[in-house]
Amino acid sequence: MSDPRGEVASGSADSADSAGSTDTTDPADSTDPRSDEDEDGVAVGIDSARGDDPDATATGVESDAAEREDDAAATGAAETPTDRERRREVETDRWLGIAGAALALVGLGVIVRQSSLVLAGAVGVGYAVYARAGDAPTPTLAVTRSVSDETPAPGDEVRVTVRAENVGEAALPDLRLVDGVPPGLAVVDGPARVATALRPGTAVSFEYTVRAARGDHEWGPLTAITRDAAGARERTADLDAPTAVSCTPELSAGGDLPLRGLTTVHHGRVPTDVGGAGVEFHATREYRRGDPVKRIDWNRRARTGELSTVEHREERSATVVLLVDARESAYVAADPDAETAVEASVAAAGQAFSALLDGGDRVGIAALSPLDCWLPPGSGTVHAARGRETLATDPALAPTPSGERFYRSLWLRRFRRRLPADAQVLFFTPLADDTAATLARRIDAHGHLVTVLSPDPTATETAGERLTAFERRQRLRTLRSGGIRALEWRDDSFPVAVAAATRRWSR
Amino acid sequence: MRPLVVAGVLAVAVGLLAALDRGVAAAISPTSTVVTLIGVLGVVQGIRYANARRDRRRLPTDPGEPERRAPAAVPGADLDERIARVASPAPGGYRDRRDLRDRVREVAVDAVARDRNCSREAAEATVDDGTWTDDPVAAAFFDARTGYPLRVRLSATVRGRSRYWYGLRAAIDEIDRIESGGAA
Repeated sequence: MSDPRGEVASGSADSADSAGSTDTTDPADSTDPRSDEDEDGVAVGIDSARGDDPDATATGVESDAAEREDDAAATGAAETPTDRERRREVETDRWLGIAGAALALVGLGVIVRQSSLVLAGAVGVGYAVYARAGDAPTPTLAVTRSVSDETPAPGDEVRVTVRAENVGEAALPDLRLVDGVPPGLAVVDGPARVATALRPGTAVSFEYTVRAARGDHEWGPLTAITRDAAGARERTADLDAPTAVSCTPELSAGGDLPLRGLTTVHHGRVPTDVGGAGVEFHATREYRRGDPVKRIDWNRRARTGELSTVEHREERSATVVLLVDARESAYVAADPDAETAVEASVAAAGQAFSALLDGGDRVGIAALSPLDCWLPPGSGTVHAARGRETLATDPALAPTPSGERFYRSLWLRRFRRRLPADAQVLFFTPLADDTAATLARRIDAHGHLVTVLSPDPTATETAGERLTAFERRQRLRTLRSGGIRALEWRDDSFPVAVAAATRRWSR
Repeated sequence: MRPLVVAGVLAVAVGLLAALDRGVAAAISPTSTVVTLIGVLGVVQGIRYANARRDRRRLPTDPGEPERRAPAAVPGADLDERIARVASPAPGGYRDRRDLRDRVREVAVDAVARDRNCSREAAEATVDDGTWTDDPVAAAFFDARTGYPLRVRLSATVRGRSRYWYGLRAAIDEIDRIESGGAA
């Protein structure tokens, strides 16, 4: 069997030393305890070589030696087998029963006294031996994956090239490679897999195209399935070749979002019920010494002889927190292949974010998600960039659910602690369950005015879908009757829905 | 099983010995009946072994479909699964049926209360006594005293579905009608 430990040792001096110490840490061993063969040493040797890398980069800032080691590992990568994790080893049962067939043939030959039949049975025995003779080779491959663009725009096509070189000493007579495409990306051209045979030293490469979508996407390990020449045994291994693309959409201001009356003391654009400087008439009051001359109501002075002062509505800025529902229940869509409600919410939150920032309001971002996500309200260009980054790549708003458990009361306690007292909340949620509606009411009850903005993910084909749609509509009605503003939209019509709602809502 | 193994090992040993020592082979000198019997044994055992292939489920590694994006859940798909479970006429699943009926009832009461502009209590009463709809199937879904119409009973028997399923569908259709009527 191949043993490229020497190569690794030449690439990184530490790796061979630590091979023994990490022997027990290989998680793949637990899947198949009885197959502790010599390859294990190889796999673990490589493991530790890779395992050193994060440390090297973490401490490499101060230590030159660590940096050199890191470089050495990088340059040696072309020949070094990729970190391998054994998944499973099975008999494919392809030749199962061949021995029985051979025996039956021999028996038949004996009964009818035909030596030719007995000989034909011997051929079957040959196949049985052939099936038992080989073992599925362990893939010792150096895998590199490259993408044509690491920071694509949403909708861009990204070409992915995967190259696998057989750096072991054994030939791989039957090798299938299946790439671990991120779950949030769809392949639009070419299958992300290849089937081939590789002699030692030869390489295979395949290409496919994915369409970029919002978020940070990390490739999973490449699955390598090898079989022996007879196809009787099969071995599956995961080959780790870290690749990631990060897709950050541009934020476009969409519609002038009507805010509710909860404001800060700073000047802004939300009209208030406080009299003072502004443009819209608010009230008149008796003249006090020091009032500006241009604010005196001269008409009234002419009519009655009294001095009075006109007051305008003060316009102030608001503190707004955009809360995006990204619990598992929010990852829903009317069609399994359509964009989820979380995508719709994040897109709408992006539009609201830039519109509100442009209007001079202080805007923050939070996610209703098992993972923590909190961008405190702020303003300015740096904050705008940070908000764009959060909406695009925060793990809490990832394009696929995290699978962690969500604790509502814990989340609410933390959210309330962070929320500034004068903040209002724009809550983006598909209202797919009662929790979202309850939370909206509770946040509102705590004095933070809530506006619910709800992308409609419901379908109306089957009985269950229709029932869910009725329930969601009822939730919206209950929220509205409880004094919470609610707006819903379908597909890409968020700005249209906002414009319609602005006409409908009085302040 | 153990005696069979011993017999097998013995037979192989004797066979090997016979191959090495002609004397042993000559001593055995089987009759044609014995040879035929051995042949039959071979055929029977061979077929038995070969048959093992028939019921073995072969499990080659399934790499899945990484090319597809992770599909989004459709709201209500889980409900449809539950509805499909209670759609069979087999008894049982009472709790599922009751839960589903309660959920539909909630929605129906809200719809009726809004449509007729009455209190929830009054709407509950109309839903429970079946006067909320002209459709006898939808009425029978909530009202245990009035049975389903004959055509539904017949259709349910012929098509192998439960009456409950017909009632549920009729009730949802009726709510849909009220909702869209209210909106217009």
